[in-house]
Amino acid sequence: MFIGGRRVLSILFLFVLVLSSIGFDEEEGLHFPLSRFKLRNGLEVVLSEDDSLPIVSVVVAYGAGSIYEEPGKTGLAYLLENMMFQGSVNIGPMQHISYIDKVGGVPNASTTEDIVYFYQTLPANQLALALWLESDRMRYLEINPAKVEEIKTSLVEEIRQRCSAEPYLESFWAFDRLLYPGFAHSHPVIGREEDIRRLSAEDVRDFYETFYVPNNAVLCIVGNINLDRTKELVEKYFGSIPPGKVLPLFLPPRPPEKKARAESFHQPLAASPAFHLGFRTAAPYTQDFYALTLLDYILLKGKTSRLYRKIITRENLAIYLSGGLEKRKDAAVLKIFAVTNNETMVEICQKAIFSELQKLRTGFVSDSELEKAKNLFRRDYFRRFSTTADKALFLAEMYFSPIGLDNAAAELKRYLRVTPFELNAVAGRYLIPENSVILNVRTR
Amino acid sequence: MTRQKKKLPLAGLLIFIMGISLAAQERFRKSPPVPDPLAQLKLPAIESVKLSNGLTVAVVTTRNRPVIALELVVQAGEVWSPEGLPGLAAFTAEMLGRGTLSLSAADIEERVESMGGSLTITTSPDVTRFSLHCLDEYLDAALEIMSRMILEPALATKEITALKRIQYYDILEKQRDPDFVGRRQLLRLLFRDHPYRNAFYNEDVIKNINRKDILAFYEKYYRPNNAALILTGNVSLTTASRRVSHHFNTWRTADIDRGSIPAPQPNGEARVCLVDVPLAKEATLVIGNVVFPLGDPDYFPFAVLNQALGGTPNSRLFMNLRESKGYAYFAFSRTEFFRYGGVFSVQARVVPSACQAAVQEILRELHTLTREKISTFEIEQAKSQLIGNFPLQVERPSQLADRVAEMVAYSLSAAHWERFYDSIMLIDAERVYQVALRYLERPPIVIIVGDRSRLAEFLDGFDKIEVYDARGNLQYTLTKGGEE
Repeated sequence: MFIGGRRVLSILFLFVLVLSSIGFDEEEGLHFPLSRFKLRNGLEVVLSEDDSLPIVSVVVAYGAGSIYEEPGKTGLAYLLENMMFQGSVNIGPMQHISYIDKVGGVPNASTTEDIVYFYQTLPANQLALALWLESDRMRYLEINPAKVEEIKTSLVEEIRQRCSAEPYLESFWAFDRLLYPGFAHSHPVIGREEDIRRLSAEDVRDFYETFYVPNNAVLCIVGNINLDRTKELVEKYFGSIPPGKVLPLFLPPRPPEKKARAESFHQPLAASPAFHLGFRTAAPYTQDFYALTLLDYILLKGKTSRLYRKIITRENLAIYLSGGLEKRKDAAVLKIFAVTNNETMVEICQKAIFSELQKLRTGFVSDSELEKAKNLFRRDYFRRFSTTADKALFLAEMYFSPIGLDNAAAELKRYLRVTPFELNAVAGRYLIPENSVILNVRTR
Repeated sequence: MTRQKKKLPLAGLLIFIMGISLAAQERFRKSPPVPDPLAQLKLPAIESVKLSNGLTVAVVTTRNRPVIALELVVQAGEVWSPEGLPGLAAFTAEMLGRGTLSLSAADIEERVESMGGSLTITTSPDVTRFSLHCLDEYLDAALEIMSRMILEPALATKEITALKRIQYYDILEKQRDPDFVGRRQLLRLLFRDHPYRNAFYNEDVIKNINRKDILAFYEKYYRPNNAALILTGNVSLTTASRRVSHHFNTWRTADIDRGSIPAPQPNGEARVCLVDVPLAKEATLVIGNVVFPLGDPDYFPFAVLNQALGGTPNSRLFMNLRESKGYAYFAFSRTEFFRYGGVFSVQARVVPSACQAAVQEILRELHTLTREKISTFEIEQAKSQLIGNFPLQVERPSQLADRVAEMVAYSLSAAHWERFYDSIMLIDAERVYQVALRYLERPPIVIIVGDRSRLAEFLDGFDKIEVYDARGNLQYTLTKGGEE
């Protein structure tokens, strides 16, 4: 297949630096084999064999979420996710989707605050197809002003549609600005209309060249694969992609201040008054964060959770309640959102929530209630391994997390070891009125 | 940051190489790679046994997943709701989840969530399904709670009142969704002379249901010889049948007099219906007719036809109505199968001004299938999509449980399971053409859902339009001459 010159190139990129296998502990309930290696250009590759079905999932994830946008250039990360489907040197616009679709596969992508994921599940014999497609757009994405303008128009339209379809959406964005500790974390992934309008092809190219590089990416392949053959294919398609420059330094957010804030927001399209209530909490993957996760289950997850029972089922204080612990790279918050029948109920409902939170500080959660929370948590945790794509996405997320892929197997235990004392302690540390941020949503 | 430092010595070399690869990219990048040979499809076996009281127990053993799915399927769908009481089957099913002689509705919720579980109850035209999924160490507790729900329901008056209110508002809410309204209207009209129409009701029927009817329906259809319990998870048939038997052995068999249900007849005359959903911005089209029942051998050639016509964004409908004509946001086709008959339909969301042109274009595409054979290229394309996509449809534990429950409840053959690849592989253009002639010659019913005031000006080309409200009640009929 290769003429002499090509072969020289691939030899220059000889790699396979690390090859390790992470064994997941049996009692933790998830055990799938993992091999890792890194290409010379810095691309991290994670492989996991699963031969239960003749399919394979390929995930390419970049540390290129909205958090890396500069002020005035919001929407860039999401715009680039869209651009990735608009064609590269060897693949026409929207052809990526079409190629995957034609073999019965399912393509997808998503942009979060810190990571952008591109993924597809397809028949295992088509693995090379996915690698060909993903490597081409990592290497040779075609960005031009006409495409940029076209995507900008559709993004502006998407923002407008979402704002009219989701009457409280803008209040969620306003609440994030109050709650999160700085621009990087607090602006929406979808971007602001006025920023998007100003983005140029140059901005898009800069972002692509800075962040969409092998040394800022992880390639996860899970499914019915042969390890040697897969390594060969990965080397062939990704080995010759040059690494990018040194990535810009990302500054951690300033530590959250403990100061209560309450503001109001006017949302004329909304049918009923509502409010957001939030707390700045410990950073993700810290000991306090594990305990807070279980508190989230106790308070908000499921119909038998404390707040749902109190606010919705028993006392009818609100007509809608949602919320939970949310993490954006290195910051985490606990958020609650409730819609009520009238303005008076807003205040009553907030009082009821604060009184429930106080119970957590003054008493201990019973063993059986904690066990229920842990069981629901385990159920949701295992759900993240339901499909080969789920597993590959999980691996990509863990790779970018501060604890890294090697410690992923120990994660579940950390949640399951949380005690009632810890719950009491974190409730007292974070879920206190002095640390609360409130945004009341007024309809008039 | 040390990671980047290590790379620095390479930088010079990389710039050199970048220069080369920009000038001449590797040849293999220029065209898609040739696939490897198709891998074998190995699906887990479905094993089953019948307990002495007639209850079927089926098991699909999967490993490495600490969750177990219990699916109790009872042949107690809406088709069995008595005349004048549509919705009774679904109402009865929901009531079983709302309290037993010893457990309140809240107790059931608490117990289910305590085992990391979730409970969903669904009623289709044929069957009712109780799906209880939980961590697998709680298998026994899950069986116990399920047996109590099924064997000793309280059917408390207080809960009946509460459920009526919930269902009433639930239907009102759904009636704001054009897709729900469109499908319901199509199926209601297609099944107008068949008991399946019971499954497509509006909020009016809820008030007619009372405890006596619920009890009678329960007594008649909730019998072990009319049910199957399917377990998907890390459990063997031996263990499963022993545990199920322990919890369900007091469930008493009874003869069920069902009468006979005929096959629904396909629609034979052209009908265009407008369903008014105020404030809907676009027009939603649902166009379809009755086809064959679940398990019919025509399933496979028809699946290929459906795929080529409207299975994906590469199919004829999408390419024509969206990409070429610009009428539609999307246009797909689908099939839904029931025990006594199935429905084939086309769904599209279209620009109001293109509403009529889009309807004509869809009818033309259907007509073409009965005049010209689909090209071998398209047929092979559709087959490879169906084959490639099949494993993805049974990958998630809940999807697997769904599919297996369907296999058992309808006694489907291996052609729908481990022999699926072969079943599709054998189809050719001629077979597809034969089913097109068999099922697409008759005129389908056309449903247009949208805001009447917004659509009115774009519909004058139709000779006759029946106008319904969102609840599905006929308001009036417009003909070219005027209103009737």
